[in-house]
Amino acid sequence: MEIRPILASLHKHRVPALLIVLEIALACAVLCNAVFMVAQCVIDGRAPNAIDEQGVSVIHIGGLDGRLAADSVSRDVAALRAMPGVKTVAAINEPPLGPDAMFNGFASKPNEEPQVNSSVYLIGKGAEQALGLKLLQGRYFTDEEYAQGELLPNHQSASHVVLVNQSDAKRWWPGQSALGQQIYSDINTWTVIGVVADVIAQDPSFAGVSGKYSSVFFPQRPSAELNNYILRSDPADRDHVLQQAMQTLGKLEPGAVLEGKTFADVRADYFAGSRNLAWMLVLVCVVMLAVTALGIVGLTSFWVGQRRKQIGIRRAVGASCRQILAYFQTENFLLSTAGVLLGLVLAFAINIYLMRHYEVSRMPWYYLGGGAAALWLLGQLAVLGPALRAASVPPVEATRTI
Amino acid sequence: MMGYSMELALRGLRRYPKTTALAVLTVAIGLAASMTTLALLHMLSADPLRGRSQHLHLAWVDTVLAKSQTYRSLDSDWATYDYKRLKTPDAEALLAAHKGTLQAAMADLDAQVGGDKGEPSNEQLLATSSDFIPMFGVALQDGRNWTAAEDAARTPVAVIDSELAQKLFGTPKAIGRVVQIKHHAFRVIGVSQPYAPQPHFYGLNAWTFSGNERESIFVPFGAAIDVGLASSSTDGCDDVTEKSKQYIAVDPMHCEWLAFWVQLDTPQEVTAYRSFLDHYAQQQPLGSFGKKPQSQLLSVQRWLTLQNAIPDNVRLNVLLAGSFLLLCMVNVAGLLAAKFMRRGAEVGIRRALGASRRAVMLHHLFEAGMVCLLGGVLAWPLTLLGLALLRMQDQGFTDLARLDVAMFAALFALALAVGVLVGLLPSWRVSMVQPGLQVKSA
Repeated sequence: MEIRPILASLHKHRVPALLIVLEIALACAVLCNAVFMVAQCVIDGRAPNAIDEQGVSVIHIGGLDGRLAADSVSRDVAALRAMPGVKTVAAINEPPLGPDAMFNGFASKPNEEPQVNSSVYLIGKGAEQALGLKLLQGRYFTDEEYAQGELLPNHQSASHVVLVNQSDAKRWWPGQSALGQQIYSDINTWTVIGVVADVIAQDPSFAGVSGKYSSVFFPQRPSAELNNYILRSDPADRDHVLQQAMQTLGKLEPGAVLEGKTFADVRADYFAGSRNLAWMLVLVCVVMLAVTALGIVGLTSFWVGQRRKQIGIRRAVGASCRQILAYFQTENFLLSTAGVLLGLVLAFAINIYLMRHYEVSRMPWYYLGGGAAALWLLGQLAVLGPALRAASVPPVEATRTI
Repeated sequence: MMGYSMELALRGLRRYPKTTALAVLTVAIGLAASMTTLALLHMLSADPLRGRSQHLHLAWVDTVLAKSQTYRSLDSDWATYDYKRLKTPDAEALLAAHKGTLQAAMADLDAQVGGDKGEPSNEQLLATSSDFIPMFGVALQDGRNWTAAEDAARTPVAVIDSELAQKLFGTPKAIGRVVQIKHHAFRVIGVSQPYAPQPHFYGLNAWTFSGNERESIFVPFGAAIDVGLASSSTDGCDDVTEKSKQYIAVDPMHCEWLAFWVQLDTPQEVTAYRSFLDHYAQQQPLGSFGKKPQSQLLSVQRWLTLQNAIPDNVRLNVLLAGSFLLLCMVNVAGLLAAKFMRRGAEVGIRRALGASRRAVMLHHLFEAGMVCLLGGVLAWPLTLLGLALLRMQDQGFTDLARLDVAMFAALFALALAVGVLVGLLPSWRVSMVQPGLQVKSA
């Protein structure tokens, strides 16, 4: 395909050509960044969590009298355990992805400044089964350890044992076994008795990148701190069991404020904001691509209309339909290429701006590649209609005046 | 000539109705997206207390007898929660100094509040001092505010809002009744209208934008301390503080928990207050903790900026919608260019008959302007729809998404500006048509 005549013709129509290039450049820049941000939202929403989420429901209980809470918690757990359909029940201070996070910093050496927000899970007896933790090394807490666990006035666990996440074990003691090692915070020390697969933080966005999978587990006897019940049931009748459990608790604790959710809802609620953002971005992308495509169709149609006579002459002197079609497709390809090149520079600049001012990370190159390919394809599809119309101009057009 | 250009423009609009409709629709979508996000940003960044907030300043002096602590994680990607509060003795000293027109110390606390009978309910309580109500413009419906003398005497009195009065006593006429706070009696001396400025700038640690949260009861902070109410958060405690009193219920004497706001009416007063604070800071024995004297006096706007009060994704959405509008504009410029160039022959004849370039350009600018104004009209219901969609999301601040008069005017100003910008290039191009050439081919 000879491109010199195309360039000559574009040179004559500088304004429309420039507008198409600009349009494609803008669309490409915004598309790359928007798709990248949608992907980040999706990845966030699917953050792995090594507990068996499917059968778990969480009931938050508020407004218990602090002095009587210990009895209430024991009584509630016993009553829930006796319910049909409930496999296991345990009390916990806060579930993963819960809103009222309890963070603390721990270090693997005494007097070292902790640098990560670790989520503190105070768990009641049986919580390892109720959550479905995956033990990788060591053991869970003994009944005796559960019975001794409580909070000191400085809000540290009085227990001397701790379960840690696999990520923390690797971070604190690279290349060594974590079992038997000590962690420190304030004036307290704990011995690691087990390592579990990574459980996600209580409020991962607050915990930050380093704290997202930094979780530590302490045994806790029934107390006011354990104001969430974890229920495990068959995923099939999870909703029904949760409803029943709410009624049971409502009768047992008439003064308390109860809030029950399946873990699926806990996760959905936590990521609701980023999911909304993602949908909005998707909507913007779709409308934007539609607008771009319509713009290309409009301008190319105008060109085709203007050049009917020239097309007729070319056809009369021997050009085939296919060659006319190829002419417009090549023209569009040249414009798209210019637009995409400009767009990639813009997309990169936008990404750098967002990185500097917002919590956005660097965009991997394949988003740029994907965006470029999408706009090339969009351009070719948009130009197809007007180009086919051009190809169907009969040679006799050459003999007519406008 | 203006009238003639306008008439030509109107005719032009009707000539290729499909292209015109497409252009109008594109402008409308772009404008609606931009205005929806801008309206939310506008509401969120609005002055929380019109007519008052420019005189209000947050005063802070570092008096914590401990090494400075950083609350930053390694990633440093979350805000340092540094609310610039004071310990009780310092707040009392600044109140007693009385260097501003009005001044008040305040803290948001959770409290169980009960009436004569029935279950107590959880309410947001503002522990503050007597100047708060006049200074922040809380409207009293009935009764009176408490006095500086009652502050000093730590008298258990309370001002409650009409909705709490209704809830506790079944009537807004609650003067002289008694509310129970932590099983202590507080006499109601005033009933106010519900008070909820947005953002909640004087207590950002409690919340920033609230749907239905607000302080429903105001009491002297001394009386609040006496009944055992305490803040659950602090910006720092003296080293002597017991560890257990640094969390959950902090020690009011040794931990920072009160925000101190002062009303300063003139720049001279601001300067004077700043030097007063500097002087106060220099008297603090902080040297042994490795700290230099520190004090700050921040205006409301500066404070909200520092605290990053407007959520990031609101600004991000404005940027996104802005770039979308830009794309729509380029697209419409393209459509208009095509439309205008199609009548090249006609313009050639007009030029040959003596029309000036200016006249041709004006006609086409008018046409572009009208396309965008029509787009603006269509964008209005679309914007309202967008805002309604925003309000349906529950993110704490989205219920503020509304279109006020200023933003309504801005919509049309923007539409007109877009029209001129979009029209410039195509109109210039069509005005460059050579007279002779076009006449020949026609």
